[in-house]
Amino acid sequence: MIGDIFNLLVVNPMTNLLLLLYGLLGQSFVLAIVVLTLLIRLVTLPLTFKQQTSAAKMAAMQPRIKAIQEQYKSDPAKQQAELRKIGFSPLSGCLPLVIQFPILIGLYQAIVRTLSLTPLSLLELGRYVYGFVPNLAQLIPINGSFLGFMDLGSANHATSFYVIPILVVLTTWASSKFMQAPTTDPTMAQTNQMMTMTMPLMIGFFSLSTPIGLGIYWIASNVIGVLQYFATKPRMDAIKAQYAAEGATAALNPVSSTASAGAGKPMAAPPRSKVKVKSTGRVNRSNPVNSKGGDSSAGKDKGKDKLSK
Amino acid sequence: MKFAKSLSIGLLFAVSLTACAGGEPPPSSFPGMAIDGQAGYLANNTHVYKFDLATGAERWRYPALGQTFESGQTHGPFAGEPLRFQKWVIVGGAIAQNGVSDSHIYALDDATGALAWRWAVPGTNETERRDFADGVATDGKLLFAANGNGILYALDPAGLDGGQPKIVWELKTKNKLWSRPLVAEGRVYQSSLDHTLYAVDAASGKPVWTFSASASIASAPVIQNGVLFVGTFDGNFYALDAANGAVKWKSPVDAWIWTRATVTADTVYFGDTKGRFYALNTADGSRRYIANLGGTIHATPLIDDDSVYVVSTDGFIYVLPKNGKPDANGLVTLQRFSDTTLNRRLIASPAIVNGQLLLPLFDGDPKVTAFKLADRSKLFDVTMATATAPAPK
Repeated sequence: MIGDIFNLLVVNPMTNLLLLLYGLLGQSFVLAIVVLTLLIRLVTLPLTFKQQTSAAKMAAMQPRIKAIQEQYKSDPAKQQAELRKIGFSPLSGCLPLVIQFPILIGLYQAIVRTLSLTPLSLLELGRYVYGFVPNLAQLIPINGSFLGFMDLGSANHATSFYVIPILVVLTTWASSKFMQAPTTDPTMAQTNQMMTMTMPLMIGFFSLSTPIGLGIYWIASNVIGVLQYFATKPRMDAIKAQYAAEGATAALNPVSSTASAGAGKPMAAPPRSKVKVKSTGRVNRSNPVNSKGGDSSAGKDKGKDKLSK
Repeated sequence: MKFAKSLSIGLLFAVSLTACAGGEPPPSSFPGMAIDGQAGYLANNTHVYKFDLATGAERWRYPALGQTFESGQTHGPFAGEPLRFQKWVIVGGAIAQNGVSDSHIYALDDATGALAWRWAVPGTNETERRDFADGVATDGKLLFAANGNGILYALDPAGLDGGQPKIVWELKTKNKLWSRPLVAEGRVYQSSLDHTLYAVDAASGKPVWTFSASASIASAPVIQNGVLFVGTFDGNFYALDAANGAVKWKSPVDAWIWTRATVTADTVYFGDTKGRFYALNTADGSRRYIANLGGTIHATPLIDDDSVYVVSTDGFIYVLPKNGKPDANGLVTLQRFSDTTLNRRLIASPAIVNGQLLLPLFDGDPKVTAFKLADRSKLFDVTMATATAPAPK
């Protein structure tokens, strides 16, 4: 039942859109995959922003969170209450991802379905192609030839010198590297680093046994993700800086819920007008509050100076 | 050091996940069943089976349980209706879910199931060597095998040359051939996903005529009284003059047709991929009735007395009147053979033998189930999960 609804609302429209694009783009399935991936990335851009913003906010809050956790480690209820007061919500970053995930799964399924590698998959495709969109059936089966030596429907990568799995590994690595959420937690940082290494290898390993067409989707998705990252980087940097500044100030008095006016106050999203859209070159992946502890102490010192005045 | 650690963890993850996908691989092509004498033959995914029609007991399977092959060799998957030819059972290799094909024609000894010969499609790469999706046809002398590489092969198995049949001729088309050829009156008719139906001389392979639709043709044609009936993906069902390929009539349909139609003296029956079933007048293509079933219809409808039996991917067997009277909307009353779904996709064509309805089942076990037509009671399942057959000698 849920599968039927998912098909109806997500996979079927994407399948037909993919076919339509294939027809409009000179019957190049690779171009159709790239353009549809791009369109979906654009549609889900607000969600991506929200997720990245939330990640930046959580990263900036880390010192305060740690302090609260330390102070109230014997009183979990109080600890939760204090964390809520400062606006800590571990799920807020996940929600946009949770919404995006079915969309990406749908796109993946649409590509598999449209490739129609097997008689069974082509028969199933016949159930989902819209009759009211003219000429879609004439495009079936799609032309699976790419660059003259690759067959998009084939899982035999030896004939194409393993170009696609290698590119899948490289682009997944780049994507993981750039888009990893910053963290102040050394354990989390180590985990992230490990994921940056293992994810590309895993995806690359799987791509060895999947058709070339799917490998191209992975590559397109990774490249578009990285491009999107660079396109949105100035805005995200400004947001991160804003949160980091707020976090540094608030970190000075993280748990005095009764004495301090600033403590316990949720961290607000920076108003757009205050965000300076200026690229700072390399991303400050560890925000100013915490970089190897140095920046963090610097932030605290600044705060102390300010307070002592 | 870190890299080595990450590498080993990544590979461990990947291998573990791959290992989780054990067991029988999911099928990717349509199973096929044939009946000959007191035996049934089934090509279904990993194996070809011969079973007893009276009891459902397995007589042999290929490959036999525990049978091993030379390093790097795989036999199967298999698909399409097996063909009894001389002392052999002929089946084609099919495509696996990852897109890799077994591009062989197999001749199995009818008595033992042992491999007599195996013919490989010529070629060096996978584009040149693909699957046989819908079985092999014969004119009694030559074998006609349609491959996913777009080539129809005519093979002569007489006096096997070095243990292999000879290629008599080839018909090259521009896209996949995923339907069985029809052999009739000295001609071979072949549908292609390149939108064309080809008619060629069976002996020489010389083209006689072609018919072009505006979309793929995946269903095998049928012939009656010099008229070919064939469904397409272009929204029409066609009746063609078998002599020259001229369109006698076409009838609009709602979705793609992959069914091989069943024809009686005055009616042609078939279904479409969105579950609509059609009964058309053979003379002019006018609708006698339509019916809305669930699922997708791929299997050829069966006619027995006054009933038409149709199976669908929704797991139900439907029974329609052979000469039903439609209502104002053209719809005919249908009933289900049983109110209980079989919970399996029904894709392959069933058969009626000695008052029994034999129904090949898709993915999983049992492979075939049998019902008594008179009271619709279940007779037996052809279960092939356990070892009962001796290994071929």
